[in-house]
Amino acid sequence: MTIVSGHVAASHQAPPTRASLLKQMWVSRTDYLYVLPAIAVMLIVIAYPIYYTIDLSFFKTPPGLQLRDKIFVGWDNYTAILSSEVFWKVTLNTVIWTLSSTIIAFILGFAAALALHRDFLGRGVLRAILIIPWVISAVAASYIWKWIYHSDFGIIGAILVQLGLASRPPNFIDNINSVLPSLIVVNIWREFPFAMIMLMAGLQTVPDQLLRAAQVDGASTWQRFWHVTFPHLSGVSTVTILLLAVSNFNSFIIPWIMTGGGPSNASHIWITHIYELAFGRQRWGVASAYSVLLFLILMTLGYFYVRALSGNDRRGPS
Amino acid sequence: MTSLKLGAAVLRGAVVSAFLASALSTTALAAPPVDLSKWSPEYVRSIAGTEDFDTAAECGKVTPLDYKGDLTFWYQGVFEGDPDLLRQYYKDFFETFRKTYPNINLKEQALTYNDLLDKFRTALTANAGPMVVRLQILGGVEFASKGYLQELKPEDVGWSTEDFWPGAMKSVTWEGKTYGVPTNNETMALIWNADIFKRAGLDPDKPPATWDDVVAYSKQIHDKLGIAGYGLVARVNAGNTPYRFMPQLWGYGGGVFDEADPNPTYSEIRLNSAASKRALQASYDMYVRDKSVPVSALTNQQADNQPLFVSGQLGMMISHPSDYNVMKDLQKKATGDDVAKAQTVIDNMRYGLIPTGPDGRRAVVFGGSNMHILKPEYVDGGKVDLPAAKAIICFWTSPEWSLKMAYAGSNPGNLNGFKTKWMKERLDNIKFLDVTTSMLPYGVPFPALPQTPEIMNHIIPDMLQNALTGAMTVDQAAEDAAKKVKEVAGGGGL
Repeated sequence: MTIVSGHVAASHQAPPTRASLLKQMWVSRTDYLYVLPAIAVMLIVIAYPIYYTIDLSFFKTPPGLQLRDKIFVGWDNYTAILSSEVFWKVTLNTVIWTLSSTIIAFILGFAAALALHRDFLGRGVLRAILIIPWVISAVAASYIWKWIYHSDFGIIGAILVQLGLASRPPNFIDNINSVLPSLIVVNIWREFPFAMIMLMAGLQTVPDQLLRAAQVDGASTWQRFWHVTFPHLSGVSTVTILLLAVSNFNSFIIPWIMTGGGPSNASHIWITHIYELAFGRQRWGVASAYSVLLFLILMTLGYFYVRALSGNDRRGPS
Repeated sequence: MTSLKLGAAVLRGAVVSAFLASALSTTALAAPPVDLSKWSPEYVRSIAGTEDFDTAAECGKVTPLDYKGDLTFWYQGVFEGDPDLLRQYYKDFFETFRKTYPNINLKEQALTYNDLLDKFRTALTANAGPMVVRLQILGGVEFASKGYLQELKPEDVGWSTEDFWPGAMKSVTWEGKTYGVPTNNETMALIWNADIFKRAGLDPDKPPATWDDVVAYSKQIHDKLGIAGYGLVARVNAGNTPYRFMPQLWGYGGGVFDEADPNPTYSEIRLNSAASKRALQASYDMYVRDKSVPVSALTNQQADNQPLFVSGQLGMMISHPSDYNVMKDLQKKATGDDVAKAQTVIDNMRYGLIPTGPDGRRAVVFGGSNMHILKPEYVDGGKVDLPAAKAIICFWTSPEWSLKMAYAGSNPGNLNGFKTKWMKERLDNIKFLDVTTSMLPYGVPFPALPQTPEIMNHIIPDMLQNALTGAMTVDQAAEDAAKKVKEVAGGGGL
């Protein structure tokens, strides 16, 4: 009761001063005790690694030295990263990967959600089939796609050659120009069901009476979608896009298993590159500096995500 | 800022000096106690089955058989490219060890070649390593130089240093001290399909004599039959890549440093020499110009060449004698007409010496694995059960088990393994063993430097990929790789 009344009171008054905030905290001290274990765990598993990563980003860790013998180099890791060709190549790859995967997965998911929103025979079966890519293991999916794409005896290549459409199997993942688009296709295949599920849930909240009223007023299918359905989905769409963007920015399994970032760094995105630098080449300091930069970008995305959620809360249920 | 830069420069200088000094120290070993030139197939046959060894009795002298203790052990185990026969020997080893030392509570963990180093390094940064580790030959010096390993020599586990290959001992030596015991050592050979050679208009019994011949044969096979001629492998962070490219690099007279010279100093980077570039050009010619090798070479490893070979889609490859058994295992999984096709391949499988460079230089990677004991502070739990650790190392490096654990693919690390009855049996059962034994005198160990894993697993494959994908020219790729080696040697680089 105390918290609720305190919250309500605070929301209707001017921002609390430092003294009043401390007073409120003191009043709610029991509640703070309840959440203390969770805060302690978060400090250990989240705050400390973040601190350690930031700290490590100012050190060099040569292959002949242990991590504890690291050498302080100040901002050198950051300047080395920002002046390296590989960084910009990997950053461009990451941007292409994240934007393409997010936008296309969202559009496909939206289309699938709209299609499945109508009632038709076999809708349940089709819905179950479309969810499969999202529920199967990413590791298994990566291995399967690696075989599908195989440059010498992949299924796609074999079919194209058998049908006489190509003289030799196309080179999907052993070519620096085609590898990233090929991996993006796999990523979209795996992610669009997520967007579909989110938007299907969103579609359930569009009021039928509004759609019927629009229909009575003579609105076309497109007009009903654009002026009634779509505005109602703006909240869930924003959240879906942000979640997809964060997830794609953090992608690891598909590019790592299928190509390991190769050939010639052509499919390295930030996470795979950071992993290789740290665990494959022991550049803990450089990898940490990369991670700090990535952290800042993700925090920015996270900020917009929270704002989008808060906006939804303020608007209330649609 | 200036003082920081000066400090960094001093440190860089110190690291480079330490690097060079250590490189020199590793080459300043005593004269090899083993005369490699006498290790011909005839010599091996003459000594096979001449001595009996009682492993339990020998290891019982190191650690009493009733010793009670706990042991954690990580090892580079069998993987998808190994024959079933080897899997059985690994199973037998752990069963026998547990029977011999029933009171040692052993917790073992097998890791594949490509994962072991990454996982081991990560564990060590958290002081969560195992008590004993069996690492690939290029890994030991890195961990010894960082101070993770305890000093350990063959004498500590009941054997003599003279019983092991000098090249293998070099791979466990850092700044004059020994940090491990070799388990097995290997040299590969060239494998070809005589039927494919015949159908492509080549002499089925005459393998390519030089690397230039490999390029020409590969092209001829591809042009005539439309299949891959040579099994090129260029994947990053895969052991198969340096094991197949380094013999070519050395054959042409190149190298990362001077590691293929009789007395290497590792002080001069040769990756951008004209000879090294010629070697890289040969790979470029096969992959880009002639398109005569698998397109998937950039993402695949040797385990992917094996199905190609058994299905008659690949003319030549470099591998172990165990590939004969692998082909037989793969045939068992075949169905319908594929069984007969696989049989044709197996019947036409031939082994020969690895080709030479234009100047007649023949070389092969002197590979293998070593066992090490970690210092307690880096072990999960902070303790090392030394008697238990020595027991398992004695067991694995014994004449019996160092032979059995290398039965199909390589050679025993303990030279007395060649004298056992199992060696005699192996000579009768494992086809083409003679050829790889004949390659032993041409074995070149990887540079015994902490930077070697990064050079072999990343810089060399990156160089190949940069050239083969057209991201760089052959010249640029070689220069870029040489620059990276220099940076890594100086303790820097991205």
